[in-house]
Amino acid sequence: MDYKLVIRTAVLAGELMLLSGAETYRVEDTMNHILKTAHTKTAEALVFRTGILATIDNPDIEPVTMMRRVKNSGTNLNRIMQVNDISRKYCAGEMPLKEAYERLGGIQKKQYKTGIYNLATLIIPAGFAPLFGGQMPEILLSAAMGALLALIITVGKRWNVNGFILDTVSSFMVAAAVFLLGAKISGVDLDIVIISAIMPLVPGVAITNAVRDILQGDYMSGNARVLEAFLTAAGIAIGAGAGMWIAGVIIAGGVR
Amino acid sequence: MSLLIGVAGCFFSVTAFAILLETPKSYLIHAGGVGAVGGFVYLLGTKNELGVVFSSFLSVLAIAFLAHLFARIFKEPVTVFLIAGILPTVPGAGMYRTAYYLIQNDSEKSGYYLLQTLEIAGVIALAIFIMDTLFKIVGKREKKV
Repeated sequence: MDYKLVIRTAVLAGELMLLSGAETYRVEDTMNHILKTAHTKTAEALVFRTGILATIDNPDIEPVTMMRRVKNSGTNLNRIMQVNDISRKYCAGEMPLKEAYERLGGIQKKQYKTGIYNLATLIIPAGFAPLFGGQMPEILLSAAMGALLALIITVGKRWNVNGFILDTVSSFMVAAAVFLLGAKISGVDLDIVIISAIMPLVPGVAITNAVRDILQGDYMSGNARVLEAFLTAAGIAIGAGAGMWIAGVIIAGGVR
Repeated sequence: MSLLIGVAGCFFSVTAFAILLETPKSYLIHAGGVGAVGGFVYLLGTKNELGVVFSSFLSVLAIAFLAHLFARIFKEPVTVFLIAGILPTVPGAGMYRTAYYLIQNDSEKSGYYLLQTLEIAGVIALAIFIMDTLFKIVGKREKKV
C-alpha cells in the first residue's frame, strides 16, 4: 500500500472541494473515506476554511502527515460533483488509486464561455427586480446595470483585481450609474434597482454555508465564513454609499 | 399577475446564478425550477402577510424537499440543486442593508436588518436540517424493505 499516495489523493480531493466552496463536514467526510482505504490504525482529516490537515499512522510505518493552505475562490458545483464521483468510484474499488489521483489532477475549472457568464450576470438583476417589487422600468434598468456589472467584472478579472476591491468598485459604479440615470427618468424606484443590481455580488452562499457549518459544530469554519460574508457585504455597502454620494454631488452641480 | 412575473424572474435569475456557480449544463433547468418554486412559496407567503422570516422558512422547506427529490432521482449531491435554488431567499440584500445603514450612521435600521438577516439565515439552516433528517429517515426505511 502506497500510504503517501493515499494521503496525497485525500488532500488533493479535499483541496479541490474546499476551493469549490463545499461545506466543511462534506470535505472532511470525503477525505476520511479516502484515508480509510489505507486500512491504517489512525486515519484523520481536519479541515478549516483556510487549510487542510490529514494524517495516517500504523504500527509498521512512520506516521505521515500532510498540510495544505487553501485560498478562497468562489463556488464551483461541477468540480464538487466530479471530485465526489471520483472518490466514490475509488472507495468502491472500481478505480485504482493512481488513476483516481491523476483524474483529480485533471479536473477542468470552467465549463462555459465568458459570454455566457456575462449574459448570466445581466439576467440575475433583471430577474430579481420583480421579487423586490419592481415593475417594467425597474426590470429594464436593472438589466442595464447587470450589463455594466458584467463589463466591470470581466475587466477586473482580466487585471486580477482582488475580490474585495472588485466588489467595492462594482457596487460604486452601479450605484453612481443608477443615481445619475435615475435623475433623468422619473417614477423609478432607485432602491429596488440598486438592490437587484448588486445581487450577483452579495454573499448569499457564504452566509448559508456559514450557518450550516456552525450547526454541524464546525465553529472555526463557520466563523470564518460569517466574517467573509460580512466583509463582502461591507465592501458592497461602502462602494454603493460612495457611489450615491458622488452622484449626488454631480447632480447638485459640484462641490460648492 | 405580479406573482407570475416574480416566479418567472426567480426562474431566470436562479438559472443564471446556476451558471455562475458552474452547475453542469444538464441540471441548469432543474436548478431554475427549484428556484421558481421557492420564489412562488415566498411571494405567496409575503402576500398573505406571513412575514418575511416565516415565508423564507416555508420557501426553503419546499426548495430543500425538491432538491432532495432531484438528488435521489439523478443520483447527484443535494448541493447541486440546493445552493442556486435558495439564492432568492438568502438574505444577501439584508446583509447589504445592514452594512449600508451602518455606514449611514443609522444604527436603528442597521440593527433591524442585522437581526432579520440572522433570523432568515437561521430559519434557512433549520429548514434544510428538517429536510435532511426526514430524507435520512425515509432512506433508512427504504433500505430495510
